[in-house]
Amino acid sequence: MGLEYVKISPGFEKYMPKDYVDLVKYGQFGKQIDVQQIDQIKELVEEHPMCAGCYMAYFVRIFYASLPKPEDTIVLGTAGCARLALSQAAVPFIYGNYGDTNAVASGLKRALSIRFPDKIKDVVVVAGDGGLMDIGFGMTMHSWFRREKFTTIMVDNEVYGNTGGQESGMSPKGVQLKMAPKGKKFDKINAVELAKTAGCVYVAKLAPTNPKRIAKTIKRAILAARELGPTFIHVYTSCNIEYSIPTERVLADAKEREKNDFGFYEWMTDEAKEYLEEQEKKMAEAKT
Amino acid sequence: MYYVADVKESECAKYNCKQCVLFCPEPNTLMYNSEKHVAWVDYSRCKGCAICVYVCSDLLKRNCIEMVMMTTGE
Ligand SMILES: Cc1ncc(C[n+]2csc(CCOP(=O)(O)OP(=O)(O)O)c2C)c(N)n1
Ligand code: SF4
Ligand code: SF4
Ligand code: SF4
Ligand SMILES: [Mg+2]
Repeated sequence: MGLEYVKISPGFEKYMPKDYVDLVKYGQFGKQIDVQQIDQIKELVEEHPMCAGCYMAYFVRIFYASLPKPEDTIVLGTAGCARLALSQAAVPFIYGNYGDTNAVASGLKRALSIRFPDKIKDVVVVAGDGGLMDIGFGMTMHSWFRREKFTTIMVDNEVYGNTGGQESGMSPKGVQLKMAPKGKKFDKINAVELAKTAGCVYVAKLAPTNPKRIAKTIKRAILAARELGPTFIHVYTSCNIEYSIPTERVLADAKEREKNDFGFYEWMTDEAKEYLEEQEKKMAEAKT
Repeated sequence: MYYVADVKESECAKYNCKQCVLFCPEPNTLMYNSEKHVAWVDYSRCKGCAICVYVCSDLLKRNCIEMVMMTTGE
C-alpha cells in the first residue's frame, strides 16, 4: 500500500462506502494517534465475529490503534481466533497455512526490502499460542535464528480456542480443558526466554490492562524490527469461553494474571536500547 | 432482543472521564462525546459483555452504565 493508495481520488468520494470515507477522513492513515484518543477516530478494525468480551479481540483493537505506520504495514495471521478480527481491518492481511506465519513473513519482508529499498514497510505477525509455539514452532524459531526483521506477537489464550479447547504448550501445568480432561502434565513453555536465546533484539511480555503501555510496547517492537532484527511480544489474551470466565470479569482476570505471572516485562539488546531512545526522541520532537 | 450497555448520561457527565471507552473489546462501539463529556454506546455493535460496567462500577465506583434489554430497531 502506501499513503497515496489509501487516499480517494478527487471526485470519487461520493461513490465510496461511508466506512471507507470515514477511514480516510477520520482514521489513522498518515498520522500518529495517541491510543487514549481512540474514541476520536474511525478505527482501522471493523465489526468482527469474535466472542463477546474476548480480550484477544480487545488486544487486536489496541494493536491496530498502535501501528506506527498503518498505511505501510502488512499483518500476517494464521488459523486461530485472532484472524477473525485481523481480517476485518483496513490493513493488508495475509493468511497462510496453519503455523507458517513466520516463514511467510520472512520471505515477505525480504521481498519488500528488495522491491522498496528506500521505503519503510512494517511486517507484523499476530498469531496464537498453538500457531507459534506448537504447530509453527520450527518456523517461529528459525525466523529468529535467521534474525529476520519483523515483529511476532503471540496472543496467548493458553488453549486452542478456535477448535474447542485442546491444550497447547502454553497452557499452564495442571489445567483441565475440554479436550485435556485429566489436566495438563507439562509446564507452560517459557516463550520469552526462548525468544531471547534465539536472537530477538526486543522481547516483551504483558497482560492487556493498560492501553498506553500496550501501544508503547507495540511501537517499540515494530521500530526495532525495522532496523535491527526480530522482535517478540508475548501477550496474555484470555479465552473466556474455554476458561469459563464470566465476560464482565475478563478485565479483572487480566489484572489478576498481571499480578501473578504476567507482570510487565521488557528486555532489549543494548543496540536496541540506543536505537529506540534515538527514535523516541525524534518522535517527541516531531510532536512539539 | 439484545442485551446491551447503556450509559446514564446525566451521571456520566459529572465526570470528565472516558475510561470505559479504553477497555471495550469492540471497535467504535463505546464512544465518547467530548462536547457533552459523556460516553455513549452504538447499540447495534455492542456485544453485551459488561466489561464497561466492571470499569465504571467496580473499578471507578461511578455506576454510570447499566445493562439493558433492547428490541431490534430501538
Ligand atoms: C495444518 C492445520 N492443522 C490444524 C488446523 C485446525 N486448527 C485451526 S485453529 C487451530 C488451533 C488454534 O489454536 P491457537 O493457535 O492457540 O489459536 P486460538 O484459536 O487459541 O487463538 C487448529 C488446530 C488447521 N487449520 N490447519
Ligand atoms: S473462543 Fe475464546 S479466544 Fe476465541 S474468540 Fe471466543 S473467547 Fe476469544
Ligand atoms: S467509565 Fe463511567 S464515568 Fe467514565 S466515561 Fe465511562 S460511563 Fe462515564
Ligand atoms: S457491553 Fe461490552 S461490547 Fe458493549 S459497550 Fe460495554 S464493553 Fe463494549
Ligand atoms: Mg490459543
